[in-house]
Amino acid sequence: MRSVIRTNEFTLAVIAALGFAALAVATDFNLLTAGTLDAFLRFLALPIVIGLAQMVVLAVGQMNLSVGVLTGFCAVTSGWLMIDAGLPAPVAVLAALALGAVVGLVNGLLVIFTRINGFIVTLATMTILEGLRYGVNGTGTYQGYSPGLREFGQASLAGVPVVFLLAVAIAVAVALFFRRTVPGRHLLASGGNPFAARLSGISNDRALVLAHTLSGLLAGFAAVIVVAAFGSVNASIGDDLLLPSFAAPIIGGVALAGGMVSVTGTVLAAFLVRLVDVSQSQFDINRRWVDLIIGAVVLGAVLLGQFRDKLSGGPR
Amino acid sequence: MRTETAPEAPAVPPAAEPRPPARALPVWANPRLGLLIVIAVLVVLFSSLTPAFLDPRLTLAPLQADISVYVVVGLAQLAVLSLGHMNMAVGRMAALSTFAMGLAYDRLGVPLLVGLLVGLAVGAGIGALAGLLIAKTGVNSFVVTLALDFGLLGLVTILYTWATGGVSFAVQPSGLSALRFDTFADYCMGEVCGPRIPLVVPIAVVAALGVGLLFRHARLGREILMTGSNTVAAELSGIPTHRRVVAAHALSGLLAALAGFLLAANNGAFSATIGESFLLPSFLAPVLGGTLLAGGAVSVLGTALGATLTQVIYKGLNLLQFSLEELKLYIGLVLLAALSLDRLRAVLAERRAVSPS
Repeated sequence: MRSVIRTNEFTLAVIAALGFAALAVATDFNLLTAGTLDAFLRFLALPIVIGLAQMVVLAVGQMNLSVGVLTGFCAVTSGWLMIDAGLPAPVAVLAALALGAVVGLVNGLLVIFTRINGFIVTLATMTILEGLRYGVNGTGTYQGYSPGLREFGQASLAGVPVVFLLAVAIAVAVALFFRRTVPGRHLLASGGNPFAARLSGISNDRALVLAHTLSGLLAGFAAVIVVAAFGSVNASIGDDLLLPSFAAPIIGGVALAGGMVSVTGTVLAAFLVRLVDVSQSQFDINRRWVDLIIGAVVLGAVLLGQFRDKLSGGPR
Repeated sequence: MRTETAPEAPAVPPAAEPRPPARALPVWANPRLGLLIVIAVLVVLFSSLTPAFLDPRLTLAPLQADISVYVVVGLAQLAVLSLGHMNMAVGRMAALSTFAMGLAYDRLGVPLLVGLLVGLAVGAGIGALAGLLIAKTGVNSFVVTLALDFGLLGLVTILYTWATGGVSFAVQPSGLSALRFDTFADYCMGEVCGPRIPLVVPIAVVAALGVGLLFRHARLGREILMTGSNTVAAELSGIPTHRRVVAAHALSGLLAALAGFLLAANNGAFSATIGESFLLPSFLAPVLGGTLLAGGAVSVLGTALGATLTQVIYKGLNLLQFSLEELKLYIGLVLLAALSLDRLRAVLAERRAVSPS
C-alpha cells in the first residue's frame, strides 16, 4: 500500500482529481455539463498521444524534436489526399499513419548510420518537415473533407468522445508493449544501460530505430485525431505541440536518460495540462499565464521527483 | 579505400620516425576548412545567379548585420554546450533582457550603453538562475531550461502588456538608429572613409574574441571545459564544478541578451517577438562548426562560420524568391548533409591517423 502511495503516478492522480474537483466547484459545476465535459475530453486526446510519441523515444534516451511538425505534415497530407487527390477517408487515414512511421524510420536510420545525436538529427528533420508541411498546400486550409471522418471526430460513446477512447486505447497498447512484449522490454533495457543490453544480446541500433519508428507512428495517430476532431487542417498544425510533448512525459516522471517509462504518468500529466488550459478559458485569463503556470508545474514536478528520490533513498 | 600511402617505409621501425602524434587529424579533416569552402562556393553561386547578391548597400550590409546577431546567438548556446548542457530558453532570455533594456530607455531615459548594461545584467542573472537550478538539483539542463522557456514565454508577454499595452516599446534611444542604418563608410576622416561594414559587426567580433579567449586562455574557461568533459575528474581536481556550471549558464544568458540587443538594433524596436527565431540557429551554428553536444570542447571560429553559412543560405535563397518555408527545407537538408559529411570525414581521418601505412 505504502509503495503505491509513494509512486509518482499516485501523487499525480491525487493532484489531477483535486484539481478537477476544484475547477468543477469554481465554475459552479459548469465543467460537469455534457457539452463542457465532452470538449474537455475531446481535446485531451491529442496531448495524450503526442506525449506518448515523445515518451517512446525518451525510453531509449533519445529525443524527437520533429514530433509536432510531423503530426502537422501527416494531417495536411491526409487532407491533400482526400480533397485534391479524391481518395476515400480510410486510405487517407492509413496513409497518414504510414507516413508518420516512415519518417520516424528515417529518423532512426539517420541516428544509427550517422551516429549524430538524435536531438540534432530530429532538429534537422523538423526543419525539413516544416518546409514540406508548407509545401503541401501553402497557407491554404483543407476543410469539408469526408463527412464520415468528421462524424467520427465528433461522435460520442455513452457520453465519452470516441477520439478520447481512441487515445486511451493507444495508451493501453503502448503500456502493454513496454510491459509485456519482448521488443518493448528490449527498448527499456537498451535505454537503461546500452552496454549491458549489448552484452545480453540486444541490438541497441535496432532499439533506436524501433523507438523512432514508433514515435513517428504515434505522431501519425495524432494527425488522424487532428483531422477527425478539428474538422479542418492547415500548415500551422503542430507548431504548438513540441513543448507539450515534452511537458507530459516529464511531469509524468519519465527520465530523460532513458530506461523507464510511465504511460499512466504521461496520461495524467496531459490531463493536468488540459486542466490548466480549461481554467484559462473558463475564467478568461490571459493565455500567457497558462504558459507561465505550465513552466512552473514542469519545474515543480521535476524538483518534487528529485526530492522524493532523496527521501526514499535516505531513511530506508 | 585510400590509395596513396604515408611516406614512411614499412621496414623502418615506427619508434625511430619523428611522427606527429597518432591522434592528430590531417588538415583536410578540419570541419572549419570545409565550412569555409562551402561558404565560398555558395557566395560564388548566388552572385552568379543573382547579381543583387553583391550589392553592398542592399544585400551585403544587412547580411553582415544578420550574421553578427546569429554569431552571438550561436555563442550563447556554445557557452553551455561547453558543459554538455543545453539552453532551450536562449530566445526567451533574449526577450526578457531586451524588455529590461526597453523599460530602462522608456521609463528612465538612460543612455544607450547604460540600457545595454542593464539588459546584459538581467540576461546574466536569469542564466545564472538556470545554472543554479541545474547545479543544485542535478536535474537535466534540457528540462530546466525548457520549463524556464515556458515560464518566460508567458512572463515576457505579460510584462510587455503591462508596460506598453502592446507588444513593443515606442522609445528610440539616441544612437540606436545609427547602429541600425550606419556603416563605417558614413564616418569619414577627411578623404578617408571606413569600409561598408555596419556598426553592429565590431560588437559581435568583440563578443566572439572574448568567448574565444575565455575558453582558450582563461582559467575560468578551461575549468568550465574540464567540468564538461568529466565532471567527476574536475571535482576531484579541486574545481568547484557547481560554480562553473552557474558561470557557464550566466555567460549564456549574457550573450543571449547581447544577441537580443543586436537584433533590436537591426529591427529598430524593442519588441516581444525578439528571440522567437533564436532556438534553431543557436544549435545550427555551433554544431555546423564542429562543437559536440557532449561537452568538453568548443570551437568559436566554427560557430562564426556556421552562423555565416546559414545566413548566406537564407539571404541567397531569399533573393532567389524562395519563401521562408522552402528555405527551412533547404536549411534542414544542408544541416543533415554537413553533419553526415563531417561524420564521414572524422571516420576516414581516424582510420588514417590510427593506421598511417
